[in-house]
Amino acid sequence: MATRTRLARLWPLSKPSALPLIRPYHSYDHPPPPGPFNPTESSILEAAIPHIPTHGFTHTTLSIGASDAGYIAASTNLFPNGAFSLVHYHLYTQRLALAKHQHIISPPPREGEKPIGIGGKVKALTWERLMGNKEIIHRWQEALALIAQPSHLPTAISELSSLSDEIWFLSGDTSVDTSWYTKRASLSAIYAATELFMTTDKSPNFDDTRDFLDRRFKDVQIVGGTMGSVTQWAGFTATAALNVLRSKGVRI
Amino acid sequence: MVFRSIVRPLLRASKPQYLPARSPRCFSKSARLTESPSQPSNHERTTHFGFETVPEAEKEARVAGVFSNVAASYDTMNDFMSLGIHRLWKDHFVRSLNPGSSSSPNSPGWKMLDIAGGTGDIAFRLLDHATNINNSPSSTITISDINPAMLAEGKKRSLATSYANSPRLSFLVANAEELETIESNSIDLYTVAFGIRNFTNKEKALREAFRVLKPGGVFACLEFSGVTNPLFDAVYKRWSFSAIPLIGQLVAGDRASYQYLVESIEKFPKQEEFRDMIKDAGFMVPGKGWEDLTGGIAAIHKGVKPIEKP
Ligand SMILES: C[S@@+](CC[C@H](N)C(=O)[O-])C[C@H]1O[C@@H](n2cnc3c(N)ncnc32)[C@H](O)[C@@H]1O
Repeated sequence: MATRTRLARLWPLSKPSALPLIRPYHSYDHPPPPGPFNPTESSILEAAIPHIPTHGFTHTTLSIGASDAGYIAASTNLFPNGAFSLVHYHLYTQRLALAKHQHIISPPPREGEKPIGIGGKVKALTWERLMGNKEIIHRWQEALALIAQPSHLPTAISELSSLSDEIWFLSGDTSVDTSWYTKRASLSAIYAATELFMTTDKSPNFDDTRDFLDRRFKDVQIVGGTMGSVTQWAGFTATAALNVLRSKGVRI
Repeated sequence: MVFRSIVRPLLRASKPQYLPARSPRCFSKSARLTESPSQPSNHERTTHFGFETVPEAEKEARVAGVFSNVAASYDTMNDFMSLGIHRLWKDHFVRSLNPGSSSSPNSPGWKMLDIAGGTGDIAFRLLDHATNINNSPSSTITISDINPAMLAEGKKRSLATSYANSPRLSFLVANAEELETIESNSIDLYTVAFGIRNFTNKEKALREAFRVLKPGGVFACLEFSGVTNPLFDAVYKRWSFSAIPLIGQLVAGDRASYQYLVESIEKFPKQEEFRDMIKDAGFMVPGKGWEDLTGGIAAIHKGVKPIEKP
């Protein structure tokens, strides 16, 4: 399989379990950059998250979080971006949570079974990330409206690209050639489109979303590690997503 | 510099006007003046009065003089200084604070304190927002100012609002540096708009703000600040230093007071510096600590009092 030969070529010295430590753009010499939230902000946001299903991505949820964390409503002034901080926190924590899916990232080898390849891991992790939205998906359009504001868009886009980066990295992709960009761009596009689809999915267990995701991956033949005319497709998806958002009354 | 030579005699000439304001009725701190009358003047603590350096105690009296002088026309003054947009800034300031917001419909409302509240401009906006936007008719505010004349003007103006004689509104003559009649840990929101640059000891005022605020409570300051674009800065300086005092003279017949106001803005610490003063007083600051308005002519600084770690 293509992925396996590449692994062998790029990692002559590697023990497979050490793979997640290697990250093309992360330096080994420096500690990871601090997250976007300080401990006080995190404590309030963490307390607020469980209230999103009921109260949405709103200032009220932020106030409840503040009071649950021992603060008062006025303390929400700590968040210059208001309710968007809830969105940002959700994106950030759900991204970091992917690393705990060790059964996907480094599954124990099983007798007589072909080990899951990079493409398979990318798909599985993308699905896990989508499932991270399960509890709040009925509120996600509020989040999209916040994301669409010009002052928030750069943060959201950079979160999205960090997400694809994280998924490719956790899946063990270490290529540093030009496909690096196309892989990330196409995964971002697939993720964003599927997430949008999921906001309207009423099927049990999000079966329709799963099918939608499968079709998107087929579109770009991502599984084999090669990709078709991805950039064109990604551009199309972005436009489609924008139109869907506009049709929902989001002003962008 | 040219304006100094023009202004000095003007300030000197206008000094007698300030003297009546020194009466103990107005200033709790005038006691300091009489404490050590024999102290040689070169040991006296000094502070800035515009570009002049004056003894601390004298500054208070002079500031009071300035505001007594411009009390009636000070909205006009704010219009000149802000190129006519201070009302928009105030609206933005209040909206960003979102007073009266709460986590449940039956919350007790916010207890607010508007320092250097002068004529109540900020306070009425805060109450309006709490009432109309956040449906919090139980939120209250105390308007405080060192100058009884300004406060009287505020009381008068309140009669024309829906808060006339309302228990939600109270007035307090006090120096922002000594708020001893206000209980510690009792306030949700402390605001000061276009006031803090006049305080003699800003650090002391910040410490008082910290003391009276509840843990989690918010300090918020709207103030003229450092214009961030050099070209705009040059143009704005030209305007503020030459045109405003002149207009002040023509409109209010009081050049010296307007000159002081312009100079005190120039003397006020720049954004980063003031942010650090807020941190030094013990506050956490949101984001980078401030928000520039209209290219930095004004800025909003905020601080949140931490809760005690269990
Ligand atoms: C330019 S006015 C601002 C009024 C009002 N906050 C507004 O935004 O329109 C400044 C006010 O600060 C008051 N002030 C000056 N020094 C003070 C002090 N040490 N303590 C309290 N108030 C003071 C003055 O009396 C004056 O009313």
